This record gives sequence, structure tokens and C-alpha cells, in this order.
Amino acid sequence: MESHMNRVLVLIGVLALSGLAPSVAFGQHGMPGGTPMTFFVTSEPIGDGGNLGGLAGADAHCQKLAQEVGAGNRTWRAYLSTQASPGQPAVNARDRIGTGPWYNFDGVMIARDLAQLHGDTIELARMGNNLTKRTGLTEKGQIVPGLNDYQVPRDSDWEYSKTTPYTNRHEMLTGSQLDGRAFPPGIDYTCSNWTSNRDPAPGQAQGGLQGGPGRPNAQIGFPDRNGGGNGSWNSSHGTTGCSQTALNRTHGVGMFYCFAVN
Amino acid sequence: MKHLSLWTLIGALVASSTATAQDRGRMPASDRIPSSLMTFFVTSEPIGDGGNLGGLAGADAHCQTLAAAVGAGGKTWHAYLSTQARPGQPAVNARDRIGTGPWYSAKERVPDYLGRRLSRPIVQSEIHGDTLDEARRGSNLTKEFALTEKGALVNGIGDPMPTRHDILTGSRPDGRAFTDEADHTCNNWTSNGAGSAQVGHSDRVGNGNQSWNSSHATTGCSQRDLVSWGGVGLFYCFAVD
Repeated sequence: MESHMNRVLVLIGVLALSGLAPSVAFGQHGMPGGTPMTFFVTSEPIGDGGNLGGLAGADAHCQKLAQEVGAGNRTWRAYLSTQASPGQPAVNARDRIGTGPWYNFDGVMIARDLAQLHGDTIELARMGNNLTKRTGLTEKGQIVPGLNDYQVPRDSDWEYSKTTPYTNRHEMLTGSQLDGRAFPPGIDYTCSNWTSNRDPAPGQAQGGLQGGPGRPNAQIGFPDRNGGGNGSWNSSHGTTGCSQTALNRTHGVGMFYCFAVN
Repeated sequence: MKHLSLWTLIGALVASSTATAQDRGRMPASDRIPSSLMTFFVTSEPIGDGGNLGGLAGADAHCQTLAAAVGAGGKTWHAYLSTQARPGQPAVNARDRIGTGPWYSAKERVPDYLGRRLSRPIVQSEIHGDTLDEARRGSNLTKEFALTEKGALVNGIGDPMPTRHDILTGSRPDGRAFTDEADHTCNNWTSNGAGSAQVGHSDRVGNGNQSWNSSHATTGCSQRDLVSWGGVGLFYCFAVD
């Protein structure tokens, strides 16, 4: 019940701040266009930083959240890449999510196919896909709080953010390059293929957000397309580490994108 | 775990003390940057005669007037508009009119995790997506960056009506003029009746794409036509020097 109240708070808070018409956010998913939801942003993180239990754990999280809103009849996949390791080839996020088109909670199309989603030609890339702050909704139809929604100094402190669901949490884990493919092996972009909740050794995390040798790190993107100086939905920058507190330091909480493959 | 918490605590303390120090002495206009730093804005008001801006010269003059009104008249301002080729008159590409940048908008932002307050600027090659990676990654030209010369947000989708996010450009996504026969520039910004103008969205939302400079065409060039599409005839202004 308490978590339900929290969700309502998110909804109300974000609605009030963004001035959205209530009818948009309170609509039934798939209504009124009747197009079933095949894309969402997780409303909740798993909560253990970059340790998602691997791709299988992340997929199960997508499936569970979908199930809870009556969309469990589809096969859901997390939009995550893993990097090649000895005896284990890389997995590209873009190869995991079917062929589209994908529709959000409101039945609005996010992208018609993989090429539009990733901007595979320069013409497509310049126009962009239709994933915006207003369409990058959770499985419950919530807008993901982003920059400028609720600005408090503590919004990068997980101890505060975890009980304040309307703080900025717009960084989605992807571990992917701009084209939706895995990074080459070597530098960590996937929190050790989504099994690590570790942070860099002291002194190693100061400054930028790029990965480095032996430095736990996850590549992230923004559903609200606002951050990192570019607004890439899937590959804007890295994190300060892989613990839950490190993810939150740059305004993420470890949420990710889920796509239905069928 | 104890170690991690301590790290976080130190980080938070550093961040908050930095912000406090920077805030001190700046109130109440704490989020304005000196007007000398502003090199990009969206016109707070349209000229008001639809697609008739008095040509490029009229549009540039509008930019200059608005900039001067907020103390930024010391720079040379150009409107981000293309014109199409006519007999004896070559096309003009919007991207070639605006200098080399990078450009900053009228406000600082809340400090990021390193306490940096100045927005990242927008860059010529990023706003036009000159390489595939740049086009995919996008630029910092967001709704929160595309402020008027007064530092105000431009109403977009989801904001109180009227929507003002259609920004006249007459340009293709790469910032160049159209080369076909159809009108994309309200007859090179002289028509308030027949014709059409290509517009972008300052909030990056609408028409199923995110183009800031080439999202869709208007039907007609009257002020009423522009309003019916979600604009009022605003345009982007860039400092060229």
C-alpha cells in the first residue's frame, strides 16, 4: 500500500510539474488507440546498483513489472548489452528486442523499427525517434522524473531518493553504444555484465564519467532526452560506479528500458 | 558498505557547499548569466505578420532589437533562417549565417554532480548531426536550453496553451536550404498568405520526431496559419561574433 501511494505521488508530482492533462496519464494502457503496450521504462529499479542478476535477472524484472499491470502475456526483454569475455560472445541490446514497432503505455509509437530507434542512417538519426519525456512512460503510465522537475540538493543521494520517488531519476542503464551494440571488451560499460554493485577504488572515480581499466561503470541514456550535454536515449555517458549510491550520484537509480519481442 | 556511505556523504557535502558558495551574492537573479555570455536565444515575441519577416534583413533586425533590449546588443545577431534559390539569387543556408559557435543560452542551470553551473553549449556539428554519431547522440539544444533572450521557457507540448514551439527555419535537418521547387520559406520570408514554412520544435517534441530545425511544414503563411500549427512565428537567433 505504501508503495502504491508512492507511485501515486510520483504521478501527481510529475503531473503538477509538467502541466500534463490528467487524461493522458490516467488513461488505461493501450487505450484509447487500442494499441497494446510493447515498451516501457521500469517503474522501479532492482535496487542493487548495477547488479541486475545478469541479463536473465533484468529480463525477469521486466516480465514481473509487465505481469503486474496485465501485460505478462508478452515476452519482455531488458534493453541491455553485455560485453564479450573469454568463451562468451558479446550481446547487443538491439538484437534482443524484436523488430518493432513498439508502443508505450498510451499506445503511442516509440519507433517503427530498429533503424528508426537507433538512427541507422544519418537522415534517420537527425530526425530522431519518438522517445521523449512525454512518451518514455513506465509500465504504469508514469513520466520518469528528470531534470528540472523537482530540484533539491539531495536528489543525488540514494538515501533520500529511495523514499522520494519524484526526484530526478532519468538515467537508464543500457551498457550500449549509440548504435545499440555492445562496447568492445576491456573497459567496463556494463557493471561486469550486470553482475557488479562495486564502486571504483578511492580516487579512481573523481572527475569524469568515462570508464577506465578496472573501473566499475555503466553506460546510460535518457528517456527525457535531457542530460549529458546531448540527450542520447541509449548512450550518453557512464556512471561514477556500480553501487546503488553511485548510480544515484548522477541522477539514476538503476532503471532500464523493457521491450516486448512479440 | 560503511566506506561507500562515507564517500557519498563527502561527495554530497562538497557538492552542496560548492553550490552554496556560488549562490551567495547572486540573488535574486542567481540563474542569469551575464548577457555578454548569451549567444543564442529564441525570440520572445514574433514579428507578428506570419511568414513575412521582411526577408532575412527584417528577421536579423528583430533579433538585434530583442538582444539590445536585454543588454546584448553589442553582438551581431542573425536569425537562423534559410532562403531558397531564385533566378539570379542563390540559396542561403541557415547554418552558414550563424558563425562558428559554440553558443550559450540565457541561463545557468542547477549545479551538476561536480558543481558545474554553466550549461554545456551547443555546437555547429552537433546541432546539425554532421556525422552519424553526432546525429545519433544529439545536442544540448533541449527545451530547457532553448530559452528566450529574457531567459524564459517557450511553451511546448504539455504546457499551457497556446503552444509556441513551432520555430521558423525554412531549413532541412542539416541546416541547409531546400532545393526543390516547393515553397519552404514563405517566399523567402516575405509572404503572409500563400506558401509554406518549414519549422522545427524548440521542445523537441511533436510530429513523431525530435527535430529542432526541420520537423514539419505549415500550410499557409498567415499569422493565423502559423498559430493553427502550434507556433506564432518565433525563430532562433545566434550571435555570429
